[in-house]
Amino acid sequence: MKTEFRKLDENDLRERLGFPDAATTEKIMDHIDASCLTFLAHSPFLCLSTSDSAGNCDNSPRGDYPGFVRVLDDRTIVIPDRLGNKLADSFLNILDNGHVGLVCFVPGMTETLRINGTAYITDDPELLGMLEQDHVTPSLATVIRTEEVYLHCGRALLRSGLWDVEMQDLAKEVPTSGTMWAEASGLSAEVGKLIDEGMVGAYNTLY
Amino acid sequence: MLPLVVKRITRESTDIVSLELADPAGAPLPAWEPGAHIDLQLITRQQRQYSLCGDPNDLGTYRVAVLREELSRGASMYIHTFLREGRTVWARPPRNLFPLLPAGEYLLLAAGIGITPILSMANDLKRRGAAWSMNYAVQDDAHLPFRSEIEALGNAVTINSRDRAGRLDLSAFLAEVRPGVSVYSCGPARFTDAVEEAMQHWPARSLHLERFEPKPIVALPNADFTVTAARSNVVVEVPAGESMLHAMKGKDLPVTGSCLRGICGSCAVTVLEGAVEHRDSLTSDPESRIMYPCVSRALGSDLVIDL
Repeated sequence: MKTEFRKLDENDLRERLGFPDAATTEKIMDHIDASCLTFLAHSPFLCLSTSDSAGNCDNSPRGDYPGFVRVLDDRTIVIPDRLGNKLADSFLNILDNGHVGLVCFVPGMTETLRINGTAYITDDPELLGMLEQDHVTPSLATVIRTEEVYLHCGRALLRSGLWDVEMQDLAKEVPTSGTMWAEASGLSAEVGKLIDEGMVGAYNTLY
Repeated sequence: MLPLVVKRITRESTDIVSLELADPAGAPLPAWEPGAHIDLQLITRQQRQYSLCGDPNDLGTYRVAVLREELSRGASMYIHTFLREGRTVWARPPRNLFPLLPAGEYLLLAAGIGITPILSMANDLKRRGAAWSMNYAVQDDAHLPFRSEIEALGNAVTINSRDRAGRLDLSAFLAEVRPGVSVYSCGPARFTDAVEEAMQHWPARSLHLERFEPKPIVALPNADFTVTAARSNVVVEVPAGESMLHAMKGKDLPVTGSCLRGICGSCAVTVLEGAVEHRDSLTSDPESRIMYPCVSRALGSDLVIDL
């Protein structure tokens, strides 16, 4: 199948797309206002975008109890680090290039909260103490100084039906994580099954 | 867990609000006695313990009070900032780890938010016509919650604050041992620690404490050990880096935990064989066969428990 197509420049793009309304650009704030604070207090999930100084990107999910992203003041938020795969893609990017972008979700809500800013990593004990959950204190946290904060319109989530309960049947059609892992690593289907069994135990330890 | 509707939120002082909670259909709630607490879960799934501070005879309502703590883990700020009347919270039935036991006379010592279990104790003692008195330490009138209710308790109560009777010197106040007097105390760690310190020379079991924070302890280094659940016939290996409770849950043993810091008592198990290093804030007898596996561990390499 053909995989190379006409590449647009910005003029081509604007010809196709037009320009945003003033109302759209005007709603972009540099800080967390009261409504965004409420949004974050009820958000258990976000995707974190980072890139290294050469522009190589990573996007990584972060999830915890609702309100896990703590707002320290109207320009400063903090994300606790929880158990993960220790690849530390996001951390290594942040060390190289502090610019980050977040999309935060509230289950059942079609609009998402977008936050762009500059991040650093800390191990400040007092801060980490505030981020304790299930009596496990994270060993690291990402502190973000906000630069752009805005509510992203809900069309993508409405079109996708992301929060519709019946949509959850889709997951049954996708190979299990063990199968995908085994295939990617050239292992047998039996090993994939063992990985799936192992994941059941591993997922018991969330903190 | 029981779903409960927030019927009323009342500002009780500068930094304390009270919540009145009721069954959504108005059904009576499980009964409780002064000193009891509930585990309350918010929509954020955070779970915290709160002492019941209302009237035990009113089975239609539970009342709890919450201190605003900015540097806390977030539940108190959620309640102060976002919880609204009409919203649902969830609770486990009340448990009482701080019950009033028979005594000739009662001395109640509270500080700050520690008034919550003490207030229902005071009302109960007054109703029963018991011999009692109470000292309540707060910063000033702005930080004095339940003011009219406390004033209605009468002369038995001294409010130790800048605006009232002045600071309470605990070591002077408790210097003289008062035989037959049981002391019940609740408050921040620095207060309960000071009460405990000032009562060193009192007879054993004169003091009953409820702590919000674990008692400071010096523990042995963690080691691996093996737990055998005798009735379930399950063997659990507990690695040095994991709590016994966590390891037991991993083997699907029927244990629950709430505070996970050795202060609430919800994870209690009975030990049949083996020595225990009690690291909780509830056990006073080092030989106790009740252990709290959220923090406590085996002293040797094996424990057998009744589960």
